[in-house]
Amino acid sequence: MESGKIHLMKFSRRWQLLSYAESVLYALGIAILFYFITKNVLFGLLAFVVSLSVLLVIKKPWKYNLNTTSAYVDAHIAEASFSSGLLLQPENSLSNLAKLQRFKISEVLSKTLSTLTPPNKIKQAFMVMLGLMAIGLAIQKSELLKDVEHVFNNPENEQAIQFTATDSVVNRRIIPIITKQEIKIIYPSYTRKGISNTNDPNIEAVVGARIQWILEFDNEVSSVQMEQMGEVITLQKRKNGYQLEQLLSESGFYNFKFKNEEGVEFTSDLFSMEAIPDNPPEIEILGLEQYTYFDFSDSKKIQLQSSITDDYGLNDAYIIATVSKGSGESVKFREEKLNFKESITKGQKVIKASKKLDLDALKMEVGDELYFYIEAFDEKKPKRNVARSETYFAVIKDTVTEEFGVEGTLGVDQMPDYFRSQRQLIIDTEKLIKDKPSITLKEFKSRSNELGFDQKALRLKYGQFMGDESEMEEAPSVIETDEVGEDHDHTEDQENILKEYSHDHDGDNEHNLVPAQEADKEEDPLHEYLHNHDDPEESTLFEETLKTKLRKALSIMWDAELHLRLYEPRKSLPFQYDALKLIQEIKNSARIYVHRIGFDPPPIKEENRLTGSIKDIDNYRKNETKELDRPYKAMEKVVSRLEQFIQQESDFTEQDKVVFTTAGSELAQLAIDNPGKYLQVLQGLKEIENNTGRIMDNYKFVQKGLLSALPKAAQIPGAQEGYTDEINLLFLKQLEVYD
Amino acid sequence: MIDGYSFLQKELLIPIVLGGLVVLGCFVWKEWKTSKGNSKQFVLNTIVSFIAIFSMVITFLEPTKEVEINDRQALLLTEGHTENQKDSLIKLNDGIKVLNYNPKKSIHKELDSLSNVIIIGDGLEPYDFHLFDSVPTTYLPNEQRKGITRLSFNEKLLLGNDLSISGSFLKPKKGSFLIVQDSRNNGLDSIQFNEETNIDFKLNARPKVSGRYVYRLIVKDSIGGVLNTNPLPIVINKKEPLRVLILNEFPTFETKYLKNFLAEEGHEVIVRSQLTKGKFKFEYFNTPSVPVYQFTDAVLKNFNIVITDAETYLSFGKTMKAAFEKSISENGLGLFIQPSDMLFNRRQSDSYFNFKRDAIKAQKLTAYFSDVEKYPFSFEEQLLVEPIALGGVTNMAGYKQHGKGKIATTTLLNSYEILLNGNNEIYSSIWTTILDKIAKKHNQVFEWGTTTPLPKIDESFKFTVRSNIEVFNVLGENNIPVAIAQKPILPNQYSGTVYPKRKGWNELHIENDSTSKFSYYVFDDSDWSALNSVKSIDANKKRFSKGFQKNRTVIINRPISPILFYILFLLSIGWLWLTPKLTQE
Repeated sequence: MESGKIHLMKFSRRWQLLSYAESVLYALGIAILFYFITKNVLFGLLAFVVSLSVLLVIKKPWKYNLNTTSAYVDAHIAEASFSSGLLLQPENSLSNLAKLQRFKISEVLSKTLSTLTPPNKIKQAFMVMLGLMAIGLAIQKSELLKDVEHVFNNPENEQAIQFTATDSVVNRRIIPIITKQEIKIIYPSYTRKGISNTNDPNIEAVVGARIQWILEFDNEVSSVQMEQMGEVITLQKRKNGYQLEQLLSESGFYNFKFKNEEGVEFTSDLFSMEAIPDNPPEIEILGLEQYTYFDFSDSKKIQLQSSITDDYGLNDAYIIATVSKGSGESVKFREEKLNFKESITKGQKVIKASKKLDLDALKMEVGDELYFYIEAFDEKKPKRNVARSETYFAVIKDTVTEEFGVEGTLGVDQMPDYFRSQRQLIIDTEKLIKDKPSITLKEFKSRSNELGFDQKALRLKYGQFMGDESEMEEAPSVIETDEVGEDHDHTEDQENILKEYSHDHDGDNEHNLVPAQEADKEEDPLHEYLHNHDDPEESTLFEETLKTKLRKALSIMWDAELHLRLYEPRKSLPFQYDALKLIQEIKNSARIYVHRIGFDPPPIKEENRLTGSIKDIDNYRKNETKELDRPYKAMEKVVSRLEQFIQQESDFTEQDKVVFTTAGSELAQLAIDNPGKYLQVLQGLKEIENNTGRIMDNYKFVQKGLLSALPKAAQIPGAQEGYTDEINLLFLKQLEVYD
Repeated sequence: MIDGYSFLQKELLIPIVLGGLVVLGCFVWKEWKTSKGNSKQFVLNTIVSFIAIFSMVITFLEPTKEVEINDRQALLLTEGHTENQKDSLIKLNDGIKVLNYNPKKSIHKELDSLSNVIIIGDGLEPYDFHLFDSVPTTYLPNEQRKGITRLSFNEKLLLGNDLSISGSFLKPKKGSFLIVQDSRNNGLDSIQFNEETNIDFKLNARPKVSGRYVYRLIVKDSIGGVLNTNPLPIVINKKEPLRVLILNEFPTFETKYLKNFLAEEGHEVIVRSQLTKGKFKFEYFNTPSVPVYQFTDAVLKNFNIVITDAETYLSFGKTMKAAFEKSISENGLGLFIQPSDMLFNRRQSDSYFNFKRDAIKAQKLTAYFSDVEKYPFSFEEQLLVEPIALGGVTNMAGYKQHGKGKIATTTLLNSYEILLNGNNEIYSSIWTTILDKIAKKHNQVFEWGTTTPLPKIDESFKFTVRSNIEVFNVLGENNIPVAIAQKPILPNQYSGTVYPKRKGWNELHIENDSTSKFSYYVFDDSDWSALNSVKSIDANKKRFSKGFQKNRTVIINRPISPILFYILFLLSIGWLWLTPKLTQE
C-alpha cells in the first residue's frame, strides 16, 4: 500500500482518538462534579458512564472515516489539489492520468500530513473539565448542597430505625435520633458463617442464631425496650448505647420503644424477624435403578454414585446395607454400615460420594437380597438433621428354584423350596403395576402369571398348616411362631430342660382350679383311640379362632391368585393386602399368647362374691373448668371498638390499650404465616395502639384487615334476652286448655 | 262575613274601620261647622261623606265574594314522574294547574281551591295522605323501577347465627353481581344475574363479631364497577353462657359428648349420672361443685336448661314432676328429654308428645347432605307442639310450649356419631338449634319495635315500647325526653314518634337504665330508591284506588272589583268639594 493512504489512515485514526479523548474529558469533568456534590464514588461513576455515552452519541467520533478525512485534507492542504480521494480508490480502476496524480498526492501527503492536526477542541474540553472540578470543589467547601449529599450518601436511609412520638403534641420537639444502629447476627458455629453485621432491622437468619442489637442515641433516653410478640424486653445499657441479645428460635415481629428526657414515649415501626430452618441434607443417587437383578454368573457389583448436599455443611454420611437371607416368613436380616470410598470431610456443603458394592464381599448367595440406602447428617446443634435416601434393591436371582414344572406323570406337584412371602408378593405386584407402561404386554402377562403362581405357592404353604390335602410335603411337625426361626432348635431343648422347674402358665389349667387331665378324658373318650384323618379341619395345628382366620386368609389368597392369573394385578392387590393383614394377625395372636404368661389376676375373696353390698361405694365428684378456646377474642373486641371509633361514638381510651396489645400478638401469629396479607394490618394496629396512627383511614384499614383475618363465627348455643308479655302468656294459657 | 262576602284584608278590618270612623267624625264636625244651621244641607253632606268614607274603607279592605266552581284541576308531580306523561296530561286537560310535590313542604293551601287532582310519579308520602281526604284524587302509578323491589333481612341477630337477606331484583343488568359486604367491604356472599327479569335472591352471611354494623348490598357489573350500593344496618348481639343440668340414669356416650361440647363452649354444666342406688356421679364444668339432689324451685331457677334421659324423667314421682312443670311454666325453664324407647312407648299424658312409628331408621339432613340415625318414630301433630328444623328436616325434633317454658325432644339417635365422623359443624348446628329454642331467656324489661321500615332525616320515626313497668321515660338524642302514648286496651304497650336529625345510628333509651337501648339507623334519601318507590307506589295505589272521580265543587272567595267603590268615592268626594263652592255663590 502506498504511504499516502497509510498516512491518510493514520490521520483519520488520530482524529477519531482526539474526538474520543474530548468526550472522555467532558465526561470526567461531569463525573467529578457529581462526585463532589454527592460524595459518593458510585454516583460519580454512574455520571461518568451516562455522560460519556451521551457525548459519544452526540459527537459520533466513529464517523471520521477515510472519506471524511480525505475531504478534510482536500480542504486544508492546498497541495492535495482535491485529489486525496484518489488514494481511496483501487489503483487499477483508475486511468493513467489519475494514477499519476494519485502517486503525486501520495508523495505530498506523506510529507505534509504529519504537520496537519485534525480539528479538535481538546483544550476547550480540558478547560471545561478543570472548570467543573473547580465548581465541584467550591461546592464541597461551601457545603452548599449538604442535604443532597445526605440523601445520596446514605444508603441505609431506609433501613434506619425511625421513631415517632406516641403523643402527637410533642412532635415538634427534638426526637432523639439513632446515631449508631448495629445489628449483629451471630450464626451458630456449625454454619461457619461467623458474625454478620447488618443495618436492616428486618432480619433473616437461620434458627439458632443469636441476634444482637446495639442502639446509640444522640440524646439522653431512658427505658429502651423491645416489644416482641407481646413480650417486652428491656435493652441493657452500655457505655454509650443500649444492647440486647436474643436467640432466634421462631419467626416474629418486633419494634423498639424508648422515652426521652421529658418522659415522652417514642416507638419505631414494626420489623420482621424471620427464622429460616436448617434443612436436612439432600441425597441424590445417580444412575441406579431401584431394582437391580443379577444372575449367579454375573459379576455382582453395583457402582453407587451419589451427591449429597446440605445448606450449611455435612457432618457424616454412610450407606446402610441390609442383606436378607432365607425365604418365606423365616427370613433373616443382616445389617451393615458401609462407608463411602471418599472420606467425608465435615462441613462440606456438597459431597460427591461413591461406593462399589460387591455382593460377593457381602457374602450374598443365590436368592439373597440386598437393600441399601444412604443416611446423611448435617451439623445442626443440638440435634443433627438426618436424611435418608430411598431404598434400593439388589437381588441375586435364584434361577434354580424359579423354574416350576408340572410333571404330568407324577400326580404330585413339586413344591419349590422358595416361595415369596405375602409382603414380597405385594411389593412385586406393585412394581409390576408401575412397570406396566414400560414393558410388553406379553412380559406383563407372564409376570402376572408368575406372581399368580407365587401366590398359589404361598396359599398352599399356609394350607399345610390348616391340614389341607396338599400336593406338597407333609405339614411340618412344629410351627415356628418366631419370625426368626433359626434359634428354634435350642429353644425347644431349653423348654424341656425348664419344664421340670417352671410353673406352667401356658395351659388352660393355669391356676390348677380343676384337677389336671380329667377334663381331657371327659371331652372325648375315644380321643386316644382314634386317629381322626377324615376331617381336615380337625387336623390343624392352630387353635379354633386362628383356624377360621387362616381359612379366611386362604380364600382371600384364592381371589388374589385369580386376579393375577387373569392379568389384573391391580384388582388383586386389595386381596393381597387383606391376606397380609390376616397373616400378620395370626402371627401376632401367637405372640400375644406368649405375652399372657405374665398375667396373674388378684385372688377373689370368696366371701365377698355376689353379696351386692355397696356400702363402700361413694358418690363421685369431678370438677373441671374448661378453658374457652377463643384464640381471637381480643381481635373481636378490637373490631367492635374500631366500629365505634369510625362511627365517632367513642375515642381511644387507656383501657383500650391492653386489648389492642393482645390483639396485636394474636394477629402477629397470623402475620407470621401470611405476612403479605396481615403485616400492614399489624403495623396499623400498632400505630393505633401507640398513638401514631389514630386516624379514620387507619381505623378503617385495620378493621377491614381484622375482619378478613377472623375465622367464621362458630355456632354455639346460648341464652338470649326475651320479653314476656302478659297478653302472650294469657294467650298461651288459653291454648293449653284446648291441648 | 255576611252571606258569602268577606274581605281579603281581614286582619286590617278593625284599624281601617276605626280610622274610617275618625275621618267620618271629622267630616261630620266640619259639615256641622260649615252648614251653619242649614240642616238639610248638613244631613245631605253627612250622608255623602259617609258614602265617600265607606267606599274608601271598602276599597282598602278588598272585599271578596264566595263562588262555587267545579273545574279547577291540578296535576301533582311527585318524584319519578316522566315528562311525557306530564306533557300529555297538560295537553288533554286544558288549563290544568301544575303543582310540584315536596314532602318537606305542605301543599295544603293549594289544594283548597282545587276540584280535582291527578298525581303522577311515585306518589305521596303516606303521612300526606290525609291532605287529600276531601279532594277527589286520581293516582296514575309509575312503572316499577329497576333494582331491589323487595327486601327482608334480620336486622337484629345473635352472633353465630346467619344474616339472611332475601328479596327480589327487578330487571338486573345481565352479568351483574349482587354482593353482601361487611362494614369494611369484605365480600361475604354474592350471586350473579343471568337474565333480565324479576329475580328472587337469597344471600347468607355469618357475621364474625358482635356490635352495630352497617353492612352493604352492592350491585356490581361484570367487570367490578359499582352500580348501586345500599346500606344494611344490623345489630349483632352475643349469646350469654347457659347453665345446664344434665340428669342421667346411667352414663351414655350421647351425654358424654353433649356435655363436652357444652363445657368447651364455656357453659356451666352440671352432670348427675346415677352409679347405683342412691349413689351418683357428679361432674361440674365451669362452675363450683354444689351437688343437686332435690329439684325444688329454688334449685331449678338457677338453670336455663335441664337435659334428662327419658328413664330419669319418666320415673320421677308426681311431686317431683310437678315441681319441674311449675318451674317450666312459671320461670321459663327449658327441658330436653333425651329419647329412648321408653319415651316413645309412653302415653302422651306422661311424655308430653305423641309419636307414631314410621320405621325410618336414617334421615338425610338436606342442608348438609349427610345421613343421621334416628329412632323409627316421628312426631304426631299436636296443638302445642312446634317442630324444630334440624339441618332442613322438620320432623326430627319438636318442642311443646308449657307456660313460659318449653319441653323438647328429638327422634335423633346417637348424635355423637356425627361428631365422631368429623362433622363437628353439623353436630354443633343441631344442638345449637335445639338448645337455643328451649333455653330459658334472660328477662328483658323493655321490648322495642318500629313501624317505620326506612327512617329518614326529618321524617317521622314511629316506635313502640312494651314493658311491664308502669312508669318510665324514653329519652332520645341528647337525652331529650320523648313523649310516649300508652295504648288504652293494651296497657303494656306504648308508642311514640321522633323526627331524627342525624344520618346513621340513632338511639332511644330509657332514663336511668343503660341496658335498655334501641338503636335505629337513619337512611340517606337516596338509599333503597327502588324499594322506596315500590312501597310508595303500592301505598298510593291502595289509597287512591277509586279510579276517576267526579269533580268536587269548591267554594272560593273571588275578589269584587273595587272600581265601583272607587267611582262612588270620587263622586261623593267631588260632591263634598263642590257643594261649599255652590252655596257660597
